[in-house]
Amino acid sequence: MLTSELIKPRLRIHGSNLRVAMVNEQDPSLQQIAQDLICLFHRHQGQSQAAWEEAVRVYEGTNVDYVFIRGLAKVLADAATFKPLTTPLPPATLREQVFAYGPVFEKPDLFHPATRQEVLREVADTLELSPGELDEILFADRGASYRLMDPGSTWTPSTLLARYNLELARGALYWASHITIEVASNYKDLWKFRTQTSTVPEERAVAHTAYKDLWRYIKLFKLMFWAETLPEGGFRIDLDGPISPFVSATTRYGRQMAAFFPALLLCEYWRMHAYVRPPQAQGETLYRLDHTCSLTTHFKSSGTFDSQLEEDFALEFEQKMGGKRGHWQLLRESEVLLLGDTVMIPDFVLVDEADENRKILVELVGFWHPNYLRRKVEKVHAAQCSHLLLLVYRGLNVTEEAFEGSASEVIFFQNKPVLKEVMQTVDAMANRIYGPRPKGKRKKKAQSSA
Amino acid sequence: MDASAFFQGGTLVVQHSDNIEHIPFPFQFVKSRWRCEAYRYHTVVPWMQEQGIRNAIPRWQHFTLELHDSRDLHEYQVEALEAWKQAKGRGSIVLPTGAGKTLVAAHAIRHVSASTVVLVPTTSLLYQWYALLTNVFQTEIGVYYSSEKRVLPLTVTTYHSAGDLIAEYGNSFKLLICDEVHHLPAKTWGEAALMAPAPFRLGLTATYPEDHEQTGERWRLDELIGPIVFTQRLEMLVGKQLAEYRTQRVRVDLTSEERASYESLHETYLGFVRERGLQRTHGAGWLGELMRLSAIDPHARRAMLARRQLLKLLEGCQGKFAALEALLREHAGERILVFTESNAVAYTIARQYLVPVISHETGVAERKHILDAFQAGRYSVIATSKVLNEGIDVPEAKVAIVLGGGTSKREYLQRLGRILRKKEPLQAVLIELLVRNTIEEGKVQRRHVPRENR
Repeated sequence: MLTSELIKPRLRIHGSNLRVAMVNEQDPSLQQIAQDLICLFHRHQGQSQAAWEEAVRVYEGTNVDYVFIRGLAKVLADAATFKPLTTPLPPATLREQVFAYGPVFEKPDLFHPATRQEVLREVADTLELSPGELDEILFADRGASYRLMDPGSTWTPSTLLARYNLELARGALYWASHITIEVASNYKDLWKFRTQTSTVPEERAVAHTAYKDLWRYIKLFKLMFWAETLPEGGFRIDLDGPISPFVSATTRYGRQMAAFFPALLLCEYWRMHAYVRPPQAQGETLYRLDHTCSLTTHFKSSGTFDSQLEEDFALEFEQKMGGKRGHWQLLRESEVLLLGDTVMIPDFVLVDEADENRKILVELVGFWHPNYLRRKVEKVHAAQCSHLLLLVYRGLNVTEEAFEGSASEVIFFQNKPVLKEVMQTVDAMANRIYGPRPKGKRKKKAQSSA
Repeated sequence: MDASAFFQGGTLVVQHSDNIEHIPFPFQFVKSRWRCEAYRYHTVVPWMQEQGIRNAIPRWQHFTLELHDSRDLHEYQVEALEAWKQAKGRGSIVLPTGAGKTLVAAHAIRHVSASTVVLVPTTSLLYQWYALLTNVFQTEIGVYYSSEKRVLPLTVTTYHSAGDLIAEYGNSFKLLICDEVHHLPAKTWGEAALMAPAPFRLGLTATYPEDHEQTGERWRLDELIGPIVFTQRLEMLVGKQLAEYRTQRVRVDLTSEERASYESLHETYLGFVRERGLQRTHGAGWLGELMRLSAIDPHARRAMLARRQLLKLLEGCQGKFAALEALLREHAGERILVFTESNAVAYTIARQYLVPVISHETGVAERKHILDAFQAGRYSVIATSKVLNEGIDVPEAKVAIVLGGGTSKREYLQRLGRILRKKEPLQAVLIELLVRNTIEEGKVQRRHVPRENR
């Protein structure tokens, strides 16, 4: 992330609105600068961080756009790996040995009989180094002398500029006290995806897991949220931190919000209102963004399965029950259960192809840490969800009593869930909750979200 | 499930509270949970006990600590400590600078004998506390600040980093010590104390904030720390602690090449400032204005760059290094501190003369090693950039050489003088290296220096 000095000069305040002066990613002159810096950076492989910083200064010259140039340089350096030189002893120990002789000079005198060169040689000899090598590694632990080992991402001028813009948007949130985001439901679109055959696999994975990723990142960055469903589908999520209600407009969580921001871009339809107090503004400003902005995220959507157990289950289902072999469709992580200040996203949703409102949620509880399990049980209790089926690994330190009083159905399994048993239970649950299954053709009916 | 209370990010949260009829203030129903600020811990504990709410808040450790310190407490220190104990371990002690607040705090830690966090305003003070606590308790001390984060039962942090530390580990500390507690009422400075459940609290300061400094959006010390429990007035102690020192100036010349580039840089830099009349239009804020313009106006940008090069030239000019070398030879065997304006020059000196350097990059352990070895006489010279002049104790130094004469801080030398605080009578000398006929001389003339001896 950029430092605040690289952000501040690019914030524009109009009344109570905040805007970030982003760069035109297509501008040939900016593309040229990006290209120059990428080349310069690659040429510095193996060289010190100080040398790279000096090279950027030289490149800057008298350019008034130095905030932009330094910003690009920071993005490059952040994505790269700098490592200290290897030393025979920790650098602090080397210094201790050498400095025991100081001060020394090039020419000796009565009180300083040994010269600098002689001292270096004496200590270097014990380490089987040359005096020059010792001189070089004396401060190997300073960031400035770290060497550029791996320049990281393969940048193009366009991706570098795009990333710079994202970092600017992120940076505005350093001073945020509160964020409201709305992510729109795309279940219906998803549904179309599933029933039509021509789908792009990756896109589907993104859409499926975008919500899950969003919650995951909210939790990762220790933000506190309050979510509610929107009448038109989707959610409104208020983000701040635990102490926020007690401290008016604290910017304590700004860094976390900034860190979280790229996750929002994983969603297809979204809108953000951030309450920001930039240092140069008098009070609070409003920073608004939505999915029509051209920002792109570098966060990866998870896409893949969380565990082998889930993957195996999905595979077995596809083989035995998939296609025309059954009337259930297996969807991954597309349902969100809001439980106050936490959420539960069951691993699978089974949807009856005859009626899309006939849904059974399936959660696999596999080999997990006891704390995780305790929280999971609490969540299940809180959810009071009768169409939730839990598949619990018997080897776990958990007994049936733990789930007593929860509205959910539980099946214990030994090695892996027995698909036949699972599907029988699913049918039975569906009959109990939704009544007998409608006979005949597929029924088209508007679905309602959870 | 039974009701329980836990710590979350600076708040106390009651969960499974369905069977509790009435949850009183200070709890508020926020985002589906009953919460309050963590500092209210000591007031809500009795209620929790009454209700049979399981208290899962404290995660602090109790242990036996031994004080390895031969210094007897002064009478006023003993009184201060007693007063604080009487107040159930909550409140502030007001003692003048240099009256041994840290030692009182160490005794308070031993009294509580449990995990403690110390909040200090600057990293220099953090190092000072780290060294003192390491010495008196002969145990590992944690530090938590921008460049090192290690949380231990006794941890020192800066107010700046304290918020993050407390949000994560707030319930790991039973005693909260706030050094220079007069900073606490400021909005962001007080947040950490607000977020910590620590039932024992100790504030230390020489200048307790006035009532009007604790109103509006500012925090009240009474609430966050407790009342003043002890005050010792300044007059009682004055004159005992400050070192005698004299100052001396050594003027050096630029080489003819250096002079030529100096004149050209000077013209680019101050020429622009004069031409735009920045000092006339912006008064004391003219440099800030120049900085702002430098992102818009190529001429201003050139002036800024010239300024930077000019300061670099003055600090690292050959004459200063020659004079420094002569002084190091002349004062051979005496303990010398060399102060530079920039980090780069401090490291250059370290490399060139093979002497230890302390900068903001130096970790706590190495810093302590260097200062201890200096005190013991194993090192006779330390090079340092601005770091040490924030009030760290280096009692044995006899000579201080200031290389970056370009400072404009008024209290600069006075502060350096304070560094030379000492145990035995010993006249310290403070030598300032200046480049003749440059902006350095002008700056020094504008600065008022007491007891000067040219």
